[in-house]
Amino acid sequence: MEQFLYYLKVSVKSIRRAPLPYVLTVLIMALGLGVFFANATFYYRLNADPLPHKSDKLFFPMMLLVPWECNDNTCKPPPVLSYANVQKLSNTDIPTAKAAMYSSDAYLRLDTKQPPLPVSVRITQRDFFRMFDVPVLHGSIWPDDSARNEIILTKALAEKLFGQSDVVGKTLLLDDKPLTVSGVLDNWQMLPRLYDANSGNHVEPVEQIYLPLETGYDMNYMSNSQSSTFDDTDYRQLSSQGRTGALHQLQYWVQLDTPAQQQAYRDFMQNLASTEKAAGRHPSIINNQLTSMRNIVAYFGGESGDIKAFALVTLLFLLVCLLNASHLSLNRYLSNQYEFSLRRALGASRWQLQQQMFADVLLLTLCCLAGALLIGFGGVQLMNYLWPVNRLFSTWDWQLLLGLLLLALSASYLVTLYPSLRASFGALNQQLKE
Amino acid sequence: MIQLNDLSKVFKTELIETHALRQISLTVNEGEFVALTGPSGSGKSTLLNVLGTLEHFDGGDYLLDGQSVKGLSDKSLSALRNEKIGFIFQGFNLIKDYSLFDNIELPLRYRGFNAAERKRRVEHALEQVGLAARRDYHPSQLSGGQQQRVAIARAIAGQPRILLADEPTGNLDSLMARQVMELLEQINQNGCTILMVTHDPEQARRAGRQVQIIDGHLSDASMYDPLAQNSPVAVA
Repeated sequence: MEQFLYYLKVSVKSIRRAPLPYVLTVLIMALGLGVFFANATFYYRLNADPLPHKSDKLFFPMMLLVPWECNDNTCKPPPVLSYANVQKLSNTDIPTAKAAMYSSDAYLRLDTKQPPLPVSVRITQRDFFRMFDVPVLHGSIWPDDSARNEIILTKALAEKLFGQSDVVGKTLLLDDKPLTVSGVLDNWQMLPRLYDANSGNHVEPVEQIYLPLETGYDMNYMSNSQSSTFDDTDYRQLSSQGRTGALHQLQYWVQLDTPAQQQAYRDFMQNLASTEKAAGRHPSIINNQLTSMRNIVAYFGGESGDIKAFALVTLLFLLVCLLNASHLSLNRYLSNQYEFSLRRALGASRWQLQQQMFADVLLLTLCCLAGALLIGFGGVQLMNYLWPVNRLFSTWDWQLLLGLLLLALSASYLVTLYPSLRASFGALNQQLKE
Repeated sequence: MIQLNDLSKVFKTELIETHALRQISLTVNEGEFVALTGPSGSGKSTLLNVLGTLEHFDGGDYLLDGQSVKGLSDKSLSALRNEKIGFIFQGFNLIKDYSLFDNIELPLRYRGFNAAERKRRVEHALEQVGLAARRDYHPSQLSGGQQQRVAIARAIAGQPRILLADEPTGNLDSLMARQVMELLEQINQNGCTILMVTHDPEQARRAGRQVQIIDGHLSDASMYDPLAQNSPVAVA
């Protein structure tokens, strides 16, 4: 340890001899690392797996159950299902859990004297909360999927409305229909919100309130993100027309824990498609998709092109910065070659000089890290300003910071390695004579 | 102590080959004070560098304490330089922004001594060269002669068995040169073997014996020096 402190002292002395080239090296590296890190933050967050322990067990089934004929491979199954098709897909015990859902908008207030508050609503079924590991703080989830005048709130909304989180049993007016609070969710933010990836809304925050699917249909809530129909029925009367007609608006998720379950469910979908085809309700070719949550964004092409392009540009920029920093570092080391040679002549081995280099690397890493964090923070703020839609994905966690530390360490090592090797392999006698 | 057998060294460029040392055979016994003399470019500094393992040689063999240094690893050569050999350079080669203490301590740092042992050795070396009161000075605050004494202190702090001095008085006036020579003689009397490159015949005569190098060869003139007190040079 004492020797390492000595190496650090030698590094500091070396910097003080020629501070300007060192400051320039740090600035260039901090700039490259900071810009790269700012973009990497978004890239990492947007591509994060919010449920790594089960994202390969949650599946989004899609079937080409449409009333028109399409017999080539260009016809993709629609990403949302009709109520009737969900019933057919649900008619099996193979999945461990299953939930149909969609999102909508509504107005909420405590009583008719208050101004209505616009809220985002997820209209779904009981298993939604279990499948996506949604934490419950107070109350409970609905015991089944039947219609009920009950509502589940987020903790933040409960506190906003009532000034407290435990509001189970209290009544609210949702579009002036009285509903009882049956549960309050703990702080929860699934990032990205992959259950909504089919409509490209996975970068949005989670909804504020949760309503049973049957109640949502009874209250005539239409999807606010993705819906389509193949007939001229007026689906604004969802409560009377929605369950039997051809309105496609439901996302559907199933949990299939084992490969055997997954294969059984694929077979089930295949049989269902064949049955539908035989019944004349399915004129197109059979095209079933069972996409796992891990692959859902890629399947729907929801990856951010801007972020991807910037990732490449910032990586190239980082490489250019590292090349420039290497050049500066080489000049610094060659101007210090005399001291390297002297130390070698007086008995330092190349390995001991490399230990000196490690101290240089550590010091450079710390300086670059501090600069990169500052520049990275500025970069994140700028990107939040330019792309506010990604604002939720701009936070740093310890894994990201550890990644930056390792990157700064690697970059500092790369920038220092060649110059220090050049300096330590120089001709001893020549340097000492000059 | 030192035995060279047909040692040769060639400097090669794309155009020419320069034979700096040609079949040099030389034996130096423990405790000797040997002056290496010869005209400029004759190869004496190259010989000193080879002896100090600062340069590799191309042919022959070099035995130090009966062990061949040929083929030794960088780690072994570094340890050998650090523990057995002390260097004194014509240009002092002190690090300007280090104190005298730090300069002298530098080779001890790579030897694994603890802080107390390093301090003891540095202070002892400073006392030996008469600069104990100036341990926190920087080289620029000293005269040339004093700087060379610091360099000598650095060389002897590790208590090496061989001291290699490359024109140690080349940059000093006559008074300072005499002081440095007296210091070297004193070190030699304490049992340290010294090989010193010099142009100065007077200083060469003060050494125990002289070895003359001309065009990379040991010259016949080095066979016997009437002023030398010790036995003639052993030339193979």
